[in-house]
Amino acid sequence: MTVVFGFLAGMMLVSALGTVLSRNVVHSALFMSGSFLAVAGFFVMLGAPVLAAFQVLVYVGAVTVVILFGIMFTQRPQARRFSTIMNRQIWAGLLIALGVGGLLSVVLVAEDWGDVAAGQGNRNVEDFSLALLGVAPGTGIFVLLFEVVAVLLLVAMVAAIIISRRKPGEGEDTRPDGQQPQNIGGGS
Amino acid sequence: MNAALETLNSPLPLEAYLVVAAVMFAVGAWGAIIRRNAVVMFMCVEIMINAVNLTLVAFSDFLPAANGVGANYAVIVVAIAAAEVAVGLAIVLAVFRTRRTVNVDEVNSMKG
Repeated sequence: MTVVFGFLAGMMLVSALGTVLSRNVVHSALFMSGSFLAVAGFFVMLGAPVLAAFQVLVYVGAVTVVILFGIMFTQRPQARRFSTIMNRQIWAGLLIALGVGGLLSVVLVAEDWGDVAAGQGNRNVEDFSLALLGVAPGTGIFVLLFEVVAVLLLVAMVAAIIISRRKPGEGEDTRPDGQQPQNIGGGS
Repeated sequence: MNAALETLNSPLPLEAYLVVAAVMFAVGAWGAIIRRNAVVMFMCVEIMINAVNLTLVAFSDFLPAANGVGANYAVIVVAIAAAEVAVGLAIVLAVFRTRRTVNVDEVNSMKG
């Protein structure tokens, strides 16, 4: 347990720092998926293998690919110096981040959590899904949350399509000779 | 030798997971503060969301009264984070198309 925990914690923190400090944006994205994988490992250790599977599917699969798409669309020449990728608040930001992390750690360790023991979670898939659907006793809130999330995903999908829609004659569509391309953005 | 193995095999305390998650949250917050690239800021926000997820799952595994629902909340958080990434990257693409940059220091007006 301890060895696995140390490995996962080291992998997660190194990957997270790599995401923050890497000069190449693509390296940042790959470091980010590494830290997500480490979090999936933690989920397995904590008795939630279903959630680990979700984590790998949604984060390591889908979110990383979507972010890589975003990088491909917005790529610029590589930065050579750290000053070009970070703003002037780097040391103040580090101070604030250390303060936040230290404060959270101290509070979380000093707090008396009462009678805790490992292995209380829903380890099998059936209990997990019954709770997620709000069928299990005491989990009625998830009926509401599940539907709210469903509506939210629909709204987000519509919003993503509308925001990123290309309007005629805007941005990359404008050619150097000033002419507008034909038949972009619908309409004939 | 046996005692050492016993120590290695014993389950970790709750605080270990919480502290790792807190440090991960702090690293993500640092990145979200200092980076100039909007896409990297999204990545750092994702790291913060993952840290919070880890905290939720740790509590659901360790607190008897939690009844294991923390993992269910984590599923909801994952769905919301996915929606946030989709909309956020659409906004980044729209900004890039009009400004030719994703540097958040240069994007300082809402229109034009």
